[in-house]
Amino acid sequence: MNESLMDILCCPLDKQDLELEVVRRDDDEVLDGRLVCTECGEEYPIEEGIPNLLPPDMREGAPA
Amino acid sequence: MPDADPDEPEDSLPGDAPSPDPDRRGVHETYDRIADHFARTRAHPWPEVREFCETADRCGTALDLACGNGRHAELLAAPAERVVGLDASRKLLRVAHERAVERGYADSLSLVAGDAARLPLAADSVELGVYVAALHHLPTRETRRASLDDLARVLAPGGRVLVSVWAVTHSKFDRESGFDTTVDWTLPGGETVGRFYHVYDLAEFEADLRASTLTLETVYESEGNCYAVVGGA
Repeated sequence: MNESLMDILCCPLDKQDLELEVVRRDDDEVLDGRLVCTECGEEYPIEEGIPNLLPPDMREGAPA
Repeated sequence: MPDADPDEPEDSLPGDAPSPDPDRRGVHETYDRIADHFARTRAHPWPEVREFCETADRCGTALDLACGNGRHAELLAAPAERVVGLDASRKLLRVAHERAVERGYADSLSLVAGDAARLPLAADSVELGVYVAALHHLPTRETRRASLDDLARVLAPGGRVLVSVWAVTHSKFDRESGFDTTVDWTLPGGETVGRFYHVYDLAEFEADLRASTLTLETVYESEGNCYAVVGGA
């Protein structure tokens, strides 16, 4: 995920800003990390460079 | 128009399935399962989408909503500086990334896993978009309308999106009014995997668009699909 994408990403639930926490990066590319909603606190993982902004009920392992 | 893809197999249709799965995880888990095979059979962009993208003004950010393997993201990369490809299937997103690397547009493509009915994008952030053959996978009218409203929210003033859904007039169905069904995907080994569809009639598609906060520029039917060009709120 290119860090410049932060200017348009938001929390899918309440549409508030996200805070980027980087675990691993390669220049501007964030390879691993997470996005945390500044309002509701929901956490979204960045895995293999792709942010997973699926709402919690659509994530793997969510109760059907 | 699925028939325009010469290498696209015929999906098998068991008829009206009485119990569409209202579970919001259902369809994207199916696409995770069929991703590799599905992507191989979806190599060619649709001509209607090609024309829409080729006549679009230059812009900053474009959105391929429910991008699948990204075949339309490639077309959006011509007029747009940046294309966001959003899909619920993370496996299809990985295929989309590989395709973009192979075909040389990876630098302008940003991939995001997300729900088409609850977009993780800021208001007024998108100037151009396509939403092709995906709205019909959302399992309730309420969810489909929520998706259209959320699309209106993210569109910048003057922004335009081409939306398409399967139509009841498609040769596969040949019906007159909209209905819910399950369409099986047949994997190479013969295993079938069902996908929920709401198949639209044109009047119903137009009614859903008009009920949303999108502005409707044009709506028409072509080769078994309903199309609309829409703008923001």
